[in-house]
Amino acid sequence: MSRFIVRRFLSVIPTFLIIVTLSFFLIRLAPGGPFAREKKIPPEILANIMHKYHMDEPLINQYFRYVGDVLHFDLGPSFRYKDHTVNELLGAAFPVSITLGVVSLGLAVFFGTLVGIISALRQNKWQDYAAMSVAVLGISIPLFVVGPILMLVFALKLKWLPTSGWINSRAGWTTIIMPSMTLMLPYFAYIARMSRGSIIEVLRSDYVRTARAKGLKETVVIRKHVLKGAMLPIVTYLGPAFSGIITGSVVVEQIFVVPGIGKIFVQSALNRDYTVIMGDVIVYSIILITANFVVDILYGLLDPRISYK
Amino acid sequence: MKRALSGLLLIVLAATLVVSCGGPGAASKGVEFIMGNGAEPQTLDPSKIQGVPEHHIYMALFEGLVGYDPKTSLATPGLAESWTVNPAGDQITFKLRKTTWSDGTKITAQTVVDSWIRSLDPATASEYAYMTGMVVKGANDYNSGKAGKEAVQIRALDDYTFQCDLLGPMPYAVDMMAHYAFAVLPMHVINAKGDDWIKAENFVCNGPFKLLEWKPQESLVVVKNDKYWDAKAVKLSKVTFLPIDDNLTAYNKFKAGEMDWSYGIAIDLIDEIKLRPDYQVSPQVATYYYIFNMTRAPFTDVRVRKALTMALDKQELVDKVMKGGQLATTSMVPAMAGYTPATGPAFNVEEARKLLAEAGFPDGKGFPKTPIIYNTSSGHKKVAEWVQESWKKNLGIDVTLVNQEWTTFLDTRSNSHDFDIARAGWVGDYLDPNTFLDMFIIGSGNNDGLYANTEYDALIKKAATMAPGAERMATMQQAEALLITKDQAVIPFYHYVNQDMIDVTKWDGWYPNPLGAHEWKYISLKK
Amino acid sequence: MPTLAKKNDKVVNEFNQYVKPVSLWADAWKRLRRNRMAVIGMWIVGIYMVVIFGAALLPFKSYTEQQMLHVNLPPSFKPAGLVAMGQLEKRKSDLTTAIEKSGRVDLKTDLVRIEAEIIQLKGDIDANPVHKRVYIFGTDYLGRDMLARTIYGGQISILIGLIGTLTAAVIGIVLGALGGYLGGWLDNLIGRFVDIMYSLPYMLVVIIIMSMLPTGSNSIFVLFIAIAMISWLTISRVVRGQIISLKNSEFVEAARSMGAGTGRIIFRHLLPNSLSIIIIYATLQFPSFIMSESFLSFLGLGVSAPLASWGTLVSEGVQGMQLYPWRLLVPAITMTVFLFAMNFLGDGLRDALDPQSKNRS
Repeated sequence: MSRFIVRRFLSVIPTFLIIVTLSFFLIRLAPGGPFAREKKIPPEILANIMHKYHMDEPLINQYFRYVGDVLHFDLGPSFRYKDHTVNELLGAAFPVSITLGVVSLGLAVFFGTLVGIISALRQNKWQDYAAMSVAVLGISIPLFVVGPILMLVFALKLKWLPTSGWINSRAGWTTIIMPSMTLMLPYFAYIARMSRGSIIEVLRSDYVRTARAKGLKETVVIRKHVLKGAMLPIVTYLGPAFSGIITGSVVVEQIFVVPGIGKIFVQSALNRDYTVIMGDVIVYSIILITANFVVDILYGLLDPRISYK
Repeated sequence: MKRALSGLLLIVLAATLVVSCGGPGAASKGVEFIMGNGAEPQTLDPSKIQGVPEHHIYMALFEGLVGYDPKTSLATPGLAESWTVNPAGDQITFKLRKTTWSDGTKITAQTVVDSWIRSLDPATASEYAYMTGMVVKGANDYNSGKAGKEAVQIRALDDYTFQCDLLGPMPYAVDMMAHYAFAVLPMHVINAKGDDWIKAENFVCNGPFKLLEWKPQESLVVVKNDKYWDAKAVKLSKVTFLPIDDNLTAYNKFKAGEMDWSYGIAIDLIDEIKLRPDYQVSPQVATYYYIFNMTRAPFTDVRVRKALTMALDKQELVDKVMKGGQLATTSMVPAMAGYTPATGPAFNVEEARKLLAEAGFPDGKGFPKTPIIYNTSSGHKKVAEWVQESWKKNLGIDVTLVNQEWTTFLDTRSNSHDFDIARAGWVGDYLDPNTFLDMFIIGSGNNDGLYANTEYDALIKKAATMAPGAERMATMQQAEALLITKDQAVIPFYHYVNQDMIDVTKWDGWYPNPLGAHEWKYISLKK
Repeated sequence: MPTLAKKNDKVVNEFNQYVKPVSLWADAWKRLRRNRMAVIGMWIVGIYMVVIFGAALLPFKSYTEQQMLHVNLPPSFKPAGLVAMGQLEKRKSDLTTAIEKSGRVDLKTDLVRIEAEIIQLKGDIDANPVHKRVYIFGTDYLGRDMLARTIYGGQISILIGLIGTLTAAVIGIVLGALGGYLGGWLDNLIGRFVDIMYSLPYMLVVIIIMSMLPTGSNSIFVLFIAIAMISWLTISRVVRGQIISLKNSEFVEAARSMGAGTGRIIFRHLLPNSLSIIIIYATLQFPSFIMSESFLSFLGLGVSAPLASWGTLVSEGVQGMQLYPWRLLVPAITMTVFLFAMNFLGDGLRDALDPQSKNRS
């Protein structure tokens, strides 16, 4: 196991390097640049700007300059949000996204497995159909529909919740309710469906049959044997889901004016804000690689049949 | 077991619907004002600003030599109490009032000189430096590195007298100077802190408000500045700017009473919005138009350009599709004080078909399948779909619609010019026809359709050296007539309107104005 | 848990009952037909396919034709002229109220125009055959028939869903299974490749591919590539996880000791036992591909206006849902019904193909 971890960790470094290098050169291929404007900047002024950001140097020099800065944990200035460095922008947005992501994913895992267990135990009964219909509905209705509908009902009609904003605004913690409810839906649906499927499978397996034959109580069987066996696909899914929910919440952030990282991801790509894009790529790949790494280790802990040779 | 499980399921399903209750508490002292401000401000540094959200914040934090009149958008005394223009019209002398920055440091004529020099300094890399370059003598030479800063013809005659030489007699120069390109900057802080002067802890300003806090993407809050020379006129104690770029959210937030002013309009809900008493519409100096690529056949043929233009019933577009009160037009320049725009051909299907037939495409036969490019937006899409169907119905020609994301679109239209017909919009920077016309001269960076008419160029250059008055306006009109009436280099659709949501029965001092410039010091709660 | 063993050359199940040897597929088909929900799902999917891909042959209205007199009409079985008249009268009274109650004198020009339109429509309503039309699903902001737009919109959305799901399944399963079963450097290589693909700025990659094509060229092909490029990433991780957990189980050991090759073990033993998760995952991804199309259309990929997809119709509908709910509901319900049918079909397939239920009724 420890040898596996070491080997797995060693492969992270070249992966990371490839991601950074590839992205750095790739993003310059996109049409337009960070200073494309409707009212075109006169060439002399554009030259001043390019010089200020060292963008008049050969690309390879820019690359080494950038990698050097990154090694000092400096992601550079933003070309668009000129008063902020990339570190400041991502630093402000990251805690917000983590909060929203963890709350949403927590809700999704909780409700998802619960609904999955119920429908697996009541397979092909009305509870099963009801639960699975909710899950299908959760994934069929896009977030950009759910968000405005929630806002319309709970903020405008019932006036229970503020329309938008974030926790430290005047409206307080209630602002997290609608975004997290919206954001969790597709993840909830995936987890409910997947846990139902794998629980049904585990329920039929020999070791559960044995456990039942031994006369163990049903709740004990479910807690001790079924859940543990059925968690594997869910855990696998949580790796990409975690990085996805943190960075891919742009729709929810847009609708509910949440100052998170997802909007920065999309905006920076559209604005060709090179340094911010690179910052995004680095942050995202760190989250993703770590999450997948953790998932691989969890495999061994969850399933004694898995061994890394 | 079974019943327990069913019960649990119901609870789970219900839990996804039940939410707890809580509302914004609104205990406050003084008058607070919350504004939906479109996008996240890119910078607070006036030398680097470009864009509307930044402009609204700039007007709270800074004041230039002159400010905007709340009703006409023309220059009003700001840092300068008064000004005089010499008889030739090419030199302005400002008399400054005795006032200080928010930290108590004096503002002198030398501060103004140093501020303008900093904005023009190539190292500052200011995007709007060209505005200064358009009026101030020598500014362009310094900004482009052709000359030193001494080339800029501005000077402090004494501590409170500032003088500036213009490139020629420019009647609009003083009005332009309310723009942030001519901002006065806290040079003592900039010299001490460098680029960090913009951080909240160092920030110093001279406007009616000062910066309290700035949370990126979340909110920017300013509070009243007691050192402002006209502080007693300022009625608001605190203004919060919220960066909300989703128009539906902005509208819902306004509707829920969480904002006092918002300019995000959900265009699909315009039928409802229009009926609201707090919806404010006013003409804007801005034009929505399509440009032809003048170098590509068949658009090299003026008959084709005219036929396409005359086949569009723009009144139908604004009445039935846009519905926001936009003004259908055939001219490039919106009506301005002293200027009557030239008019292009009116909607006339028969004439259009005749012209198209003359150009070799009877009933649209043989007309190449042309793409119209536009940047992705539901509003632009509606216009393009309407145009496509109108041309098909009226002329029998088929065009395709191509949408591109903003930066790609700009690259296609302005750099590679790889298009046949492209959507465009232009917002005037100041109240003079020149701001709409000088971009069509040969070699202009904004002449995306590559219109080339030396006669036109001569008229524009001539107008630039003329003294203000009817004669100059007539020259401008002649030029516009060439562009629109004779050559039809563009198809003007409509003039934009400012669309704002603000309850003017609650707030005083907010008036619709042509540039959409609302000075904060005039706004107050009605008693 | 291999349930089939040979006994005197007759096939038996685990209860030692003799069963007829039938092929996996025939058996699955038999079981699928017995699942009521799956059969309903199959019928619905079938009807959708016929209507949507045969739309050009069926008597639908044009999805491009604009009728400025019929803008934003609600669904109704009444002739369009009457519905439009009702809308105009309502607008007139709304405007009158606003002018009188809120003193919005600036709306008077609108009122005058509406009154003129009412008079014009009154004179026109019997003469013009256009007003005899019936829009059972209403019209959109340019007076186009929502029914036709929704039906044509299904073409691109269903294609995208199918192509995305297929590429995801094929590439994801093959790479996931190979990595999971063989392990070692190959697994590491595939795993890191997936990490890199995830981490590259996807939007920019799409923008760059787009920019390499001439302006206005057909972008549907690029859309397929863009979707296929990332569709398989998550599923390959999930499959790999399943394979890893199964590869040391007794039945694989048994197959290996009997000399089965890698390919046989993966495709005959490991994958069938992971099928459940794969099918669930695939049916769940289907809607997300449809949605990613509407996002990519923002970058100019996909169908260009005036043709729309379900995703773009829904996203447009949301913007005006307070006033014109049918512009959201018509495409949203059409799409949801289809996705439900696909899900039931998927569930039925899963149950039918489940190796452990083979030869059991």
